[in-house]
Amino acid sequence: MLQHTLEMRHVTKRFPGVLALDDVSLELKSGEILAICGENGAGKSTLMKVLSGSYTSHEYEGEIWFDGEKIEHMNVAKAREIGIEMVYQETNVFLYGSIMENLFVGNLPGKGSLVDFKELKERTAQILEEIGLGDISPTSVCRPLSSGQLQLLSIARSRVKEPNVMVFDEPTTALTDTEVEHLFALIRKLQQEGVAIIYISHKLEEIFELADRVMVIRDGKKVSEYKVSETNRNTLIEDMIGRSMTDMYPHDPSPMTDEVVLSVRHLTVPNPTATDLNIVEDISFDLHKGEILGLGGLIGAGRSESLGAIYGQYTQGVTKEVYINGEKVDIKTPDDAIKAGIGFVTEERKRNGFVWLLPIYQNISLISLRTMLPGKYMIDFDAEKKQAKTMFDRLKIKAPTMNTLAGTLSGGNQQKVVLGKWLVNNPKILFVDEPTKGIDVGTKAEFYKILRELTQQGISIVMVSSDMPELVNMSDRILVLSSGKIQGELTGEHRTQREVMELAIR
Amino acid sequence: MKKEKKNSLLRTLIVRNELSAIVPLIIILIIVAIGNPNFYRLKNILDIIRTASFSFYIAAPLTFLLTASGMDLSIGSILSFGGVLYAKLIVGGVPVVPSILICLIAGGIIGFMNGLVIVKYNQPAFIATLGTQYIISGAVLVWTGGISVSGLTAASKVIGQYYIGGVVPIPIVYAIIIGIICYIVLAKTKWGRSLAAIGGNQETAYLAGIPVVRRRILVYTIVGIAASFTGVVWAARFSNGLPGAGDAVNMKNMAAVIIGGTSPAGGSGTVIGTAFGCILLAAISNFLVFLGIPATAQQLIFGAILIAAIFIDRYRRQILSKG
Repeated sequence: MLQHTLEMRHVTKRFPGVLALDDVSLELKSGEILAICGENGAGKSTLMKVLSGSYTSHEYEGEIWFDGEKIEHMNVAKAREIGIEMVYQETNVFLYGSIMENLFVGNLPGKGSLVDFKELKERTAQILEEIGLGDISPTSVCRPLSSGQLQLLSIARSRVKEPNVMVFDEPTTALTDTEVEHLFALIRKLQQEGVAIIYISHKLEEIFELADRVMVIRDGKKVSEYKVSETNRNTLIEDMIGRSMTDMYPHDPSPMTDEVVLSVRHLTVPNPTATDLNIVEDISFDLHKGEILGLGGLIGAGRSESLGAIYGQYTQGVTKEVYINGEKVDIKTPDDAIKAGIGFVTEERKRNGFVWLLPIYQNISLISLRTMLPGKYMIDFDAEKKQAKTMFDRLKIKAPTMNTLAGTLSGGNQQKVVLGKWLVNNPKILFVDEPTKGIDVGTKAEFYKILRELTQQGISIVMVSSDMPELVNMSDRILVLSSGKIQGELTGEHRTQREVMELAIR
Repeated sequence: MKKEKKNSLLRTLIVRNELSAIVPLIIILIIVAIGNPNFYRLKNILDIIRTASFSFYIAAPLTFLLTASGMDLSIGSILSFGGVLYAKLIVGGVPVVPSILICLIAGGIIGFMNGLVIVKYNQPAFIATLGTQYIISGAVLVWTGGISVSGLTAASKVIGQYYIGGVVPIPIVYAIIIGIICYIVLAKTKWGRSLAAIGGNQETAYLAGIPVVRRRILVYTIVGIAASFTGVVWAARFSNGLPGAGDAVNMKNMAAVIIGGTSPAGGSGTVIGTAFGCILLAAISNFLVFLGIPATAQQLIFGAILIAAIFIDRYRRQILSKG
């Protein structure tokens, strides 16, 4: 096995007015897994763009060395030549192409311009076996695969190119637990084959399970580097946020009361992907004033779909009875839900949380403009900006001004804009779906504090979360969904990760 | 350091939406000034603005449509239809005002049908409106036999031929009124803002309680009314209902909107930019005539400008997304 060494020396990258990377160096050898962690906006992505050649040599200061040789004029083609492969969060797969074609696109086996389909099929079957998708035929179309399966597929596709260095950027975001296991097995296999691996992740558990070394970046600087065996979770968190953090979760007493604000009865939601199947079958639950009601369960248990169905996002095939403060309300559209005092921070903020091209303040007033702000037809810009400013300050949104386009913000700040959009509308009930997904630790803690404050103001929250510590620490009560039913309710000391998991796999 | 400053000037030029039309407009005006001072005669300038006005009647509401991420390739046929219908009604003895109203309603119904097919039944706007274009122009040809409808009464021509104070052609006045209304609606009203939200991210807009379906259908309807209105004024101005009046209009109007800085991908639009886009295209036509370049070559130049505008939009988005 050939030993390779990759080095990045003293890399500094400037954007107008910002130092995105400040003298960062790293070294990586074949068969090693280096984890890189840091808050959103710490500079991880920029560093990887330098490594992948997306920024060419003259766009930054510093050098990249491979096997003891300095790479001159680094660019995307050079990076390929060295064998650097990036696996991005987004999967780019030809949905209507077959799996085998997707895997080997640009690399199809065969002589001349003819494709050797037999070999193609065999090699694909072998790869599918390795990534735990052995029961899927190489010739089937990609379209019906889950996003997790697609993610595994695109990783396998990078591997076909036999890279020397592979970079994984938050690869588990869309994966289920089983898929994560397959992914880890695959990464370990790559490691044994001598691939040097960079693994970027927010999830510290993954880093401890997988990596040999871990490097923390903050504000564009390399803060620390440890052998994974010689550090611990708290140290890493402290390094990431730059202050010591005893506990992320607020300890204020819960203002939960017995008063029922929302009753959902006989909720049935059809499965979005499989016809004739219901993802949730006849469930009922109550939400009390001032509580955070956690909805636990595995991905695909129908939690998001349930919230969407109550809110009027999905209507086809949905049956439900919704009572607010004991009165029956008929919610056919999101507008009905908003009028009934419900807000909904959805899971996919990029897809349906904010409008990319509108400035922050206009995103914040997206709902309140119709419902609350003065003027029947005309926009009162002063009132609008004043209202948005209050929220901008309260949520401490980090942006140059309120006129900054929402699309240019980091994930955490985008999420704050989404939350702000609902809060200015004074909801009585707030649905939050994976509220801190893809958000750095520091901002997470801010969110937890805000959610707790909201309940103290009398707002009642339903929270869907796959982040177990978040679910058990933030929820006053937890309902666990599995197989289309509520499998149990956990309160008090029973709110533990183990008990949630036991119900979730029923 | 110096280089950076230069860049930032170019960037501001590009990022400010309207400027992608204003800058080339100024350049052209300067070039022409050197080449042919006759270009600057008041009459010629009014001619240019009048031509631009005819585009602008449709292009202004088309700005709404593109902002809401829609498109309409049937406006040309609705224009022809509106003009022919107006001429037929007048010739048939219907008084002017009811004739105009009937034409506007008919245009609105066609636009509404477009909207219904596209929004309610979720068909691609490109195909649906292309189909409408063929249906309506086909119907107009069958109806007229391809011959223009003449014999308009003097009273019916006033709406296209009157000069205010003997100088300013009345079509320009319509354009100013339409421009002011559309500018206010898009930039200053809640309704206009909702179009930007719909075009920017339809799902977000829907979850924010905005009646997306209703809004989008209404915008198609407005565009239909505007196209028919253009046909009516056109027929009045040229004293006949010409079945091919709107033939070259589709692309030209879309081009005017996009050149004006409204993103073809939706989410942001500017009526002022569209006005300049219309004037720019009209000025180029006029300029080419002055240079003695045949009108047939105009399409070539419009096409090139449109492609350039798309690239500018793409570049603008890249800059904006980098922040």
